[in-house]
Amino acid sequence: MNSDVILFLVVATALAFDFTNGFHDTANVVATSISTGAARPQVAIGFASLLNFVGAFISISVAATVAKDVVNAEVITPTIVFAGLIGAIAWNLVTWYFGLPSSSSHALIGGVVGSAVAAVGFDAVLAEGLVGKVLIPAVVAPILAFLVAGFAIGLSDRVVGKQRPGIVSRGYRYGQIVSGGLLALAHGTNDAQKTMGIITLALIANGTLGAEADPPFWVIASSATAIAAGTYSGGWRIIKTTGTRIIKMDAAQGFSAQGAGAAVILASTHFGFPLSTTHVINGGVMGSGAAKRLSAVRWGVAGNIMVAWLLTLPAAAAIGALTYGVTRIFGTGALGPILVTLMALSLVVTAFARRARGGAPVEATGT
Amino acid sequence: MIATIVHTNELLQTIAASLIAGIGVTFLFSVGIWGASQFTELSRNERPLAATAVAIIGTVALLGVAASVITGIVVMTHK
Repeated sequence: MNSDVILFLVVATALAFDFTNGFHDTANVVATSISTGAARPQVAIGFASLLNFVGAFISISVAATVAKDVVNAEVITPTIVFAGLIGAIAWNLVTWYFGLPSSSSHALIGGVVGSAVAAVGFDAVLAEGLVGKVLIPAVVAPILAFLVAGFAIGLSDRVVGKQRPGIVSRGYRYGQIVSGGLLALAHGTNDAQKTMGIITLALIANGTLGAEADPPFWVIASSATAIAAGTYSGGWRIIKTTGTRIIKMDAAQGFSAQGAGAAVILASTHFGFPLSTTHVINGGVMGSGAAKRLSAVRWGVAGNIMVAWLLTLPAAAAIGALTYGVTRIFGTGALGPILVTLMALSLVVTAFARRARGGAPVEATGT
Repeated sequence: MIATIVHTNELLQTIAASLIAGIGVTFLFSVGIWGASQFTELSRNERPLAATAVAIIGTVALLGVAASVITGIVVMTHK
C-alpha cells in the first residue's frame, strides 16, 4: 500500500515536473521567432506546444539513458526518485522566479543523483553514464550549437548578403516557421523523454516493470501531454532574457540559431544524450550574434546565464539530498513524501502568488 | 578508462550530423532566398531565361531543405 502511494506521488510529481519543464523552456523554443517578428507570441506558443506533443512520440533513446544509465536502478527506491524530482522542481521554480534560464534536464538529473547519493552513497551513481552521456554532451552541445549557428550565419551572409533586405528578411521569417517548428519537435522529443525515463525508473524500482523494460505507452502519452500543456502555459519572464537580452537578432540569425539548436538536439537525441534545450538554443543565439559582431552579444547577461547553468546540477542535487533527508525523518513509509508534497505545493502557490502580485508578465519585444 | 566513459563514436557522429544538418540546411535555404530575390530582379529586367534558371536553382535548394528535414525525422523515428 505504502509503495503504491509513493509510486502515485512519483508519477504525479514527474508529470508536474514535465509541466514545469515545458513552462520553463517555452522561452527557449519560441523566443527567437517572437523577437524577430516571425510569429505572434500566441501563435508561436500554440505551434510549439503542438509540436512538443508530437515530438515526445518519436524516440525513446533518451528515456532509456535516464532510466538505466545514470543511477543504478537496483538500489533506487521510489522515494529516492521522488526526492530527486522535488529537488529539480524547486530549482526550476527558483530560476523561473528570478527570470534566469537554467536547465530543467540537468536539474532533474542533479536532483536524482543528489537524493541517490544521500540515500545509498556514491555507489548508486553510474559514473560512466553520468559523465559520458550527460556531463560531456552537456559541455559539447552548447559549444557545438554556437559553432553551427556561427558558421551557418556566416555562410548565409555570403549567399544573400548583397540581395534586397526586404525579400531576405521576409524569406527567413517564413523559414523560421520551419526552424522554430523543428526546434519545438526536438524539445518535445528530448525533454519529454526525461520524464518518461524517470517514471520508468520509478516503475522499475517499485518492481512494476522489469529492469530492461521500455516506457509503457501510458507513460509516453502522459509525458507528451504534460510537456505540451506546460509549453502552452508559457514562460513570459524568461522569453525576455533569451530572446532580446542576449543579442538583438534579425530573422537570418533567428533561423540559423533555431536550425543549429534543432540539429544538435535531434542528433543528440538519436544517440540517447539527455540535453538541455536551454543550453543549446542559447549557444545557437550567441553563435549567430558573435559571427556578425562580437560586441552584439551582451556577454554580461550571457555570463549570468552561464553561472545559472553551472549552479544547476549541484543546487538541484543539494535540494534532492535535503528532500530525501526530510522524507526519512518520517520513516520509510508514505508519510514523508506526502508531507513533502504538501510543503512543495505550498511553496509553488506562494511563488506564483508573489509573482502575480509583482505585476504583469514581461512581454517580449520585437527587434 | 576515459575512452570507455566517453562515448567517442556516438559523440563524433552527433557532431558531424549537427554540423552537416545545421549548416547545410541554412545554406540551402539561403540559396532558396537568393533564387527568389534574383528571380524578382531578373524578371523586372526582362531576362526570362536567367530568371527561370535562378528560379530552378532556388526551388531545388528549397526541395533540398524539405528533403533534409524529412530525412532527419525519419532517421529519428527508426531507432
